[in-house]
Amino acid sequence: MKYLPGFAIPCLLILWWLIATGGGRDTLLPSPGEVLNVLLHPLVDQISTGSLAWSTFVSLSRVMLGFMLAALAGIPIGLIMGASVNVRKYFSLIVEMARPLSAIALLPLSIIIFKAKTFAQLFGLEHLRYQKNLLNEMQLGMIFILFWGGVFPIILGTIQGVRSVRKLHLEAAEILGAGKLFTFRNVIIPSALPDIYHGLKLGIGRCWMVIIAAEMLPGTNSGIGYLIRFSYQLSRYDIMLASIVIVASIGALLSKGLEFLGEKSLVLRSRER
Amino acid sequence: MTTLKISGLSKIYREPAQDVHALGPVSFESEEGDFLCVLGPTGCGKTTLLRIVAGLEFPDTGSVSVPIRGDGAEPVISYVFQQGALFPWMNVYSNIEFPLKAKKIRREIRQSRVEKMLEMVGLSSFRFSYPHQLSGGMQQRAALARSLVMEPDILLMDEPFSSLDTRTSQDLQENLRNLLKRTSTTVLFVTHNIEEAVYLAGKVIVLGHRPGRIVCTKTIDLPDPRSRLSDTFTEYLVSLRKIFESLVLEE
Repeated sequence: MKYLPGFAIPCLLILWWLIATGGGRDTLLPSPGEVLNVLLHPLVDQISTGSLAWSTFVSLSRVMLGFMLAALAGIPIGLIMGASVNVRKYFSLIVEMARPLSAIALLPLSIIIFKAKTFAQLFGLEHLRYQKNLLNEMQLGMIFILFWGGVFPIILGTIQGVRSVRKLHLEAAEILGAGKLFTFRNVIIPSALPDIYHGLKLGIGRCWMVIIAAEMLPGTNSGIGYLIRFSYQLSRYDIMLASIVIVASIGALLSKGLEFLGEKSLVLRSRER
Repeated sequence: MTTLKISGLSKIYREPAQDVHALGPVSFESEEGDFLCVLGPTGCGKTTLLRIVAGLEFPDTGSVSVPIRGDGAEPVISYVFQQGALFPWMNVYSNIEFPLKAKKIRREIRQSRVEKMLEMVGLSSFRFSYPHQLSGGMQQRAALARSLVMEPDILLMDEPFSSLDTRTSQDLQENLRNLLKRTSTTVLFVTHNIEEAVYLAGKVIVLGHRPGRIVCTKTIDLPDPRSRLSDTFTEYLVSLRKIFESLVLEE
């Protein structure tokens, strides 16, 4: 109920959309009805690229893998950089130089390096090359730039979390007899969690944006981003708009999902006296 | 036997504008089971003194000596902060358990000691509550439990009840006296509240303003249980108030 006011503007836009495309007018923009029609049949094959569900599944899988690698690397790096001034000094130059290199800008480079190798090829499953198989769709180069896009927000968020641990808590831990490692596991990390979750949220948002954009570039023929480009080229704007709706929804879901996971740690920390 | 010996302790904060002589040479001693109250106006260096004894800060001159216990073990020093400093991401049980876990004490022993502590401070039914769900008084009780669960030889307390209302504060003072009755812990209690000092302490050390030097030391000889309404209590109160007045007038 409390989300109702938020729906006002989108509803108005949809109304306008309905009016603009209604009444048998011959418009370029498909009507909401046509887009809905596409959305309601997620398992139907669209323009022989696979169904909506399949495309979404492919994009999501890529993001999940890239994001998890980014988190697995980013959180430990951030923890160490946050805890040690020396490490931070050594690595900050590299990090600051690497950060502005946008993940998308690196796509051509990564294709050159990874030569469009897929996971299927990695695992020696060459014979699957012409079948519709997920492993076939996971290109190393693409996973790499997803990793690149996600890792920096995660590192920075984690560093922020570690550095913002309250001195009072560190002193209390020391006086109560906690050694360095014990303090790190039981005081620093729980205290840093809200900021780490924030970094993860930013990271997954970036990953999602990167994959959609990357799929629009040459190098792949599956995924929701690819579907957007291809359906545009074939003038099937109803599919295109349906894909855009999916992109937006999933982006929101991913972000909200992480926010939900991080809620508890944030609440605990923010309610202290 | 002496449990704590402070000699010639002083601390000067060197600021760019001027040196702040926070604590001017201070010396005193304590015996086992003593309850020493360091009483003084705000800013007289009493918190600094406590933090130096705790090892959180280092003095510019002098030394703190905590002799090895009778049985040859290192003395255990514990601290209660003014704001409690409970860990907000842990519930009361985990907070109290913290020092025991840090020392890798076995689970069964941990459990029994934490349960005993919870009962002694009256928080048994709140063991799974989080700090933010507790009132100020309950939080301080939990903080106290956390410090006492280590069975410390020396307990340092930095104005632990100053942020509470009078009634709660007095209840906790009484709680504290009862808790300590069965132990031989030496307590160093810092406060600016004269009544609190008279109620709790065996000996009151009055610290003057910058520099923080000992103005006088008073032994409080009141029968147990102490009554805030007795004549002797009031006498001590008044004489200490007079000393305080003269301190304030000096500025």
